[in-house]
Amino acid sequence: MTVVYSIEAPYRGRYELHRLTFGSGSPRVAIVAGLHGNELNGMHAVNMLAAALRAQRPRGTVHLFPLVNTFGADEARKRWPFDDRDINKAFPGDPDGTAVQRIASALLDATDADVCVDVHSGAPHVRELPQVRVPLSGRELELGRAMGLPLVWRREGARLQASGLIGAWRDAGRQALHVVGGRGITLDTGHSATIARGLKRLLGHLGLVRHVDPNETVADVTRVEVGVHRAATGGFFVPEVRVGALVKPGHLLGYLQMPIGGDRIGELRARRGGVVVTVRAWPMVYAQELLVRVAGTDST
Amino acid sequence: MAETRRVIEIELPSGDVAPVVCRRFGSGPFRVVIAAGIRGDAPEGIRVAHRVSSFLEAEEGRLNGTVDIYPCANPLAAHRGTRTWPFFDTDLNRLFPGRSDGHPPAQVARALCDDISGAQQVIELRGARPAFSEASQAIVRHDHAESAELASHANVAVVWRRTPGPAAPATFAHQFPGSIVLEGGTGNRLTPGVGNDLADGVLNLLVHLKVLPESGLPFHWAAIRRPVHVTDAEVHRVRAERGGLFLPASTIWSEVEAGECLGEIVDPLTGLTREEVRSPMAGNILAIRELPVVFPGTMVARVVTA
Ligand SMILES: [Zn+2]
Repeated sequence: MTVVYSIEAPYRGRYELHRLTFGSGSPRVAIVAGLHGNELNGMHAVNMLAAALRAQRPRGTVHLFPLVNTFGADEARKRWPFDDRDINKAFPGDPDGTAVQRIASALLDATDADVCVDVHSGAPHVRELPQVRVPLSGRELELGRAMGLPLVWRREGARLQASGLIGAWRDAGRQALHVVGGRGITLDTGHSATIARGLKRLLGHLGLVRHVDPNETVADVTRVEVGVHRAATGGFFVPEVRVGALVKPGHLLGYLQMPIGGDRIGELRARRGGVVVTVRAWPMVYAQELLVRVAGTDST
Repeated sequence: MAETRRVIEIELPSGDVAPVVCRRFGSGPFRVVIAAGIRGDAPEGIRVAHRVSSFLEAEEGRLNGTVDIYPCANPLAAHRGTRTWPFFDTDLNRLFPGRSDGHPPAQVARALCDDISGAQQVIELRGARPAFSEASQAIVRHDHAESAELASHANVAVVWRRTPGPAAPATFAHQFPGSIVLEGGTGNRLTPGVGNDLADGVLNLLVHLKVLPESGLPFHWAAIRRPVHVTDAEVHRVRAERGGLFLPASTIWSEVEAGECLGEIVDPLTGLTREEVRSPMAGNILAIRELPVVFPGTMVARVVTA
């Protein structure tokens, strides 16, 4: 384990950016987790991958960053706690700037690799099926598909997070993959293990390790193949499905009720068949908020 | 009596409703918009909006045009005193022009833009940035000479002709190219005197826009400050090089020499000095940090050279 960057912090130990490196030479892969301090499924997945790499030295270099935002994680906060800034909005960063700009700059330098992965959880109020978000075509799509995660979400340019670490990697000419799974504030060991298998398949595809697990992809879609269900009114949302469930058109996804008294306001039924990829977890919802997403599968 | 209108109502999941309101004074096609509380940690701006309202209430018969005052654009954040909109945890001032089919913060941004569209002049009222004390200032877009000239009458110390940064296109002020942003005081606090100065400045702007007659103002025109005009090149950011507690030695708008000590950074556990922060040039203190905890790279002051 190496400390690739550190900065003086008042009232507590220095902030340190930790990197675990396995193997040497090309190809080089960098995997980042915990950029948001309350999204730690990725951290767990990266640590599982580290255990696998200790048992099997890769043919090439793997840099792992299990937890970038240690200070945020200490307080269960997404952002950098001092000035409440999002490190993921500080890229490409500035070595002479604020603390988050310095951390962003150091992380960008330290992830000098051919293929880079940034792992997040969903927001604290939604649960997401483990997925990779990739462009509509090209090498990143090929690499994203090689991860074999349950959902491959092909997105148009503007929806691919042009800013942030992913955008900074692309600007630097690196292949960048955006992985999301589970929800913030909670550890989901099942989703973490799924993400770890996906990371291992990526390394296998690149020839760094022998890969054994079969592909787990259920849906490989663009936006038009995803049914989005929003709240017609505010209320209390009770889900009737979990992420990963296969549904047919008309399947009951959940219902909205009055928060006080519990009178039923409305039902949510699947408009299309497919796999449930997003479910609202926090029940108090505003009108127009996302409740459930269903992605089309090969069979639907 | 001014008309108070609900621009949009935010329905909360529990069933409550939080309205965003507009108070309209006067009538006629020439319309000035005064908006405050885009962020919830700027109560100074809300106070100024209400001071201006109470003056216009009494003078309504003499208005030549329409003045629309939006005293609090982000009521849920103001309710908590936080910069961001609660639950969605988003900065409303990064969501403009918004969208009508988005989440509530985006809907509010859209509703405000639609409501304000067509106004001849927009004035945004803010407080100082969090953790700072700031001299009163008017911020206008660098390439908008007309609003810079108008802002000279805003009773502020500085008119800053600012070049829009990367985040600017999603801000409220950026939606209206000639807008004037007024700010000053202390982050998330009311500062004695500042609210009065900025309220006088807004009324003076209304006089220069010919919406309000000069007679009957609650101050003499000669009392209005003559601001210095600066661009980004004359505004210098001073950063901490060490982490610790920054203890300021300067006050707002005081004159400093090049190399003069602006404050020191001490070890929070022993109080021993780690760094003396010095002004890179001669000028006036535009902003100084008042929340002492700093990391290396944290801004501790802004100095302007005129
Ligand atoms: Zn995240």
